[in-house]
Amino acid sequence: MHLVQHRAAEFGVRGVDPQAVRMNLGAAVARKDTIVSGIHQGIYQALEYNQAITFIHGHAEFTSPHDLRVDGRQLQVEKVILAIGARPAPVPIDGLEQAGYLTNKEALRLTEVPASMIVIGGGYVGVEFAQMYARFGTQVTLLGRAPRLMRKEEPELSELLAEILRAEGITVHTGAEVLRAGRAVEGRFVEARVGDERQRFEAEVLLLAAGRTARLDGLGLEQAGVEPAGGYIQADEQLRTTAPNIWSLGDANGGLMFTHRATYDGPIAALNAVKDLGRSVDYRVVPRAVFTEPTLASVGLTEAEARARGHEVKVGVARFAHSGRAKAIGQTEGMIKLVARAGSGELLGGHILGPHADILIHEVVVAMYDRGTSQSLARSIHIHPTLSEVVKAAAKALR
Amino acid sequence: MKHYDLAVIGAGQGGLPAAHMAARLGANVALIEMDEVGGT
Ligand SMILES: Cc1cc2nc3c(=O)[nH]c(=O)nc-3n(C[C@H](O)[C@H](O)[C@H](O)COP(=O)(O)OP(=O)(O)OC[C@H]3O[C@@H](n4cnc5c(N)ncnc54)[C@H](O)[C@@H]3O)c2cc1C
Repeated sequence: MHLVQHRAAEFGVRGVDPQAVRMNLGAAVARKDTIVSGIHQGIYQALEYNQAITFIHGHAEFTSPHDLRVDGRQLQVEKVILAIGARPAPVPIDGLEQAGYLTNKEALRLTEVPASMIVIGGGYVGVEFAQMYARFGTQVTLLGRAPRLMRKEEPELSELLAEILRAEGITVHTGAEVLRAGRAVEGRFVEARVGDERQRFEAEVLLLAAGRTARLDGLGLEQAGVEPAGGYIQADEQLRTTAPNIWSLGDANGGLMFTHRATYDGPIAALNAVKDLGRSVDYRVVPRAVFTEPTLASVGLTEAEARARGHEVKVGVARFAHSGRAKAIGQTEGMIKLVARAGSGELLGGHILGPHADILIHEVVVAMYDRGTSQSLARSIHIHPTLSEVVKAAAKALR
Repeated sequence: MKHYDLAVIGAGQGGLPAAHMAARLGANVALIEMDEVGGT
């Protein structure tokens, strides 16, 4: 929609009246629901087909390390794998409950585009939803508590992303601590400390995206002998919890809260639980992406992190603005920054803000997995004209 | 009372591959989900 509305003329497409382009959110949500329910059907079919798996619908709770209550039923189990995931973390904002708010779940079920929205949280959920709704036509205010959006990402890239979002019309405040919320005449208000000032914001809806925490409530962890720490389940390298017959994986363990981590953990937890194979997880190289446009994707250490760990580093930067392919597709914003050891050139980190960053990053991922060097990226022949040439250019620029 | 070798609590992104792998390894698995499969 964004492309059609704002760039049709630039690409030589006639007949589009930007003023008339509108989002039919109900239709978009229905399309999403069709895709998701197709995925669910596939999952249920695979489960049904699998004779060794009994699918039980209900809330599980431990009554002992070997006994579970699932709603009314009792199950006796030798071993357990916890794959309970995370939910939005509670936040200490006065009046938030009375004000009423959406989480990511409800925000994917709206059928009308809200006129205005305040997004609380400058992490990936906040940033993705802020841009999505802004592009649907909502007037969005994004309040992030950290000094930068995506605070753990390479600062140059996260600042550039904030600039790009602002240029799209999103009001972005960082270092903004939300103190109070409530009902306004129309919609809701929040009061936040922004720098040294207290500011009031109003919008039709609030979206809470201020972090997630393990879904431990009502699980009866004490009866199981599983000790949580800091809101998450403590699991060792083999994903075993403090209870000898219980393993835990994915978001529930905190840290890298991504689907690709949970799907990686799954078989390892099973191998260890069922066959006692003692496999350890290897989180040396775990990439991550924020699905904004341009997309932010990264792996490994930022420059500052690498230096803080005592590495002598060199960095290489290349910009999409110089890429013919980026010009052709009209997406020239963004840059790539690579971090490598000064001596050997071993890659320590890759950071990409740009078109298809989520795909491009894998070149760095695979290289890093084999402790590869920037030289292999710089010297290997890359197809022209591709965005991958920008990765090569960043590797050639390392110094 | 039903008895299982392994219970996997949560049929989300990690629970599903865990349950399938455990089944492949010969375990009799109960996969428990309170909401919808797929997670989050
Ligand atoms: C808005 C949003 C966008 C995201 N986008 C991405 C992305 O683009 N890429 C990415 O890699 N990751 C993304 N993530 C993160 C990703 O969804 C999680 O990392 C992933 O789902 C974790 O898998 P999991 O198996 O640990 O938990 P989940 O997939 O959340 O599954 C946990 C399941 O356990 C069930 N459960 C919990 N407790 C019980 C109980 N007591 N009894 C029975 N069932 C129970 C829950 O109902 C749930 O279905 C996103 C998350 C959010 C919120």
